[in-house]
Amino acid sequence: MRRILLLLTVALLLISTWMAFTVGQVVPAEKNITVEKNIVYVHVPSAICSTLCFLLLFVAGICYLVTNKPMWDYIGAASAEVALVFSTVLNATGSIFSRPFWNTWWTPSPRLIFSAILWFLCVAYLILRANIQNPRYRARICAVFGIIAFLDVPMVFITARLMTDQHIGNVEFESAWQRASFGLSILSIAFLGVLLIWIKTDILKSRAKFENELT
Amino acid sequence: MNYFWLSFKAIFVKDIVTELRAKQVLPTMIVLGMLIVWILRIVSEAASIQEAVMGPAALWIAFLFAGLLAQERSFAVEQQQNCINALLLAPVDVGTIFLSKLFVNVVMLCIFEIIIVPVVILSFQLKPPERWLSLIAVLLLGNIGISSIGTLFSATVQFSSSLLSIIVLVVLMPMMIPATFALLLLFGAIPEQLAGTGALAFVGDFKAAVGYLAAFDVVFTAAGWLLFGFVVQE
Repeated sequence: MRRILLLLTVALLLISTWMAFTVGQVVPAEKNITVEKNIVYVHVPSAICSTLCFLLLFVAGICYLVTNKPMWDYIGAASAEVALVFSTVLNATGSIFSRPFWNTWWTPSPRLIFSAILWFLCVAYLILRANIQNPRYRARICAVFGIIAFLDVPMVFITARLMTDQHIGNVEFESAWQRASFGLSILSIAFLGVLLIWIKTDILKSRAKFENELT
Repeated sequence: MNYFWLSFKAIFVKDIVTELRAKQVLPTMIVLGMLIVWILRIVSEAASIQEAVMGPAALWIAFLFAGLLAQERSFAVEQQQNCINALLLAPVDVGTIFLSKLFVNVVMLCIFEIIIVPVVILSFQLKPPERWLSLIAVLLLGNIGISSIGTLFSATVQFSSSLLSIIVLVVLMPMMIPATFALLLLFGAIPEQLAGTGALAFVGDFKAAVGYLAAFDVVFTAAGWLLFGFVVQE
């Protein structure tokens, strides 16, 4: 089952990368800008996926507190780690993008502030996790923190949608090909996220099993 | 309801009396706050930053770190001789324990504010705002927000105190933007007619900033009240 997902993800990533560089290529309006706008095919999907991972962290936290099943804890931990990966990509590509456009690596605009906060929340979750030894206690505190952390996320969404910002608004494409490759890139990165969460959950599960056998 | 007030008062009085007798944390908070303000004052002089801009930021940084000290204490004292178990065994709702601990922390920060706000106003040569009531409202709202997250996670102190600081500082980061902005407006660092424009346009005017603060307070306090049982449960 997972092998099928792996193959599907690799195929989707290859196709969407190929499309992004051929039919879906975004030509920069200003010719002197060297960084191509193609970065949008990584930047936007990773923003969407990191928010979705946070949603999963929130849901897993609630499910853990209600059912007390360790599985939900593993899912939460895995999604926090994947959210960290995606938000790192989000902030890095954003910086690469903003340097030629705004002539600065970082500027306090709402979306940039809140994507930085997203990154810090993921890091704080992982620090919290690494510092508590008792597995049951760790799971409970991490679930509570995941829920609280998600309460900050609506701010990200609201600012990205409603507030005035020098960050460009929602992307608009000229051709149907570009729209198609954009959709495909979102899909492929979402698949990648699901795959990574799945693998990490399994790793955490077998590690917990191993530790149980040791003691 | 009557029982709620009774237990709320009992825990509150117990904590305040212990603090007044031991005088453990309040002096530390005040000295720490003064040191932070003093360092930032020197820096703003050296870098020739406009004092009115630096003052409110210094105020919130001092609040955050002094608040951490108060919150750490609120469950560190319960660890001695396993008082926490006795507290949890008492026929009191855990939500009530959270609310009264929160109230203790708010009161401690209020005492801290009474001392540190004049210090900031004097050392940064701020113009005392005409709208005293608004100033008190902003400080109180920020105070409750800082205390709510801190009190919720202060039970993690039994693992390590550095955990509390990372959680509190990261979760409160978004709240500090409207909080600082409201103080900047009150102290006249940003002219009133410029509010809602420019780089910080997303915060809006004074009313919007206070609204954000109030929203954060409501969300965090409600979440803390609901989730506190899971944090302290053995």
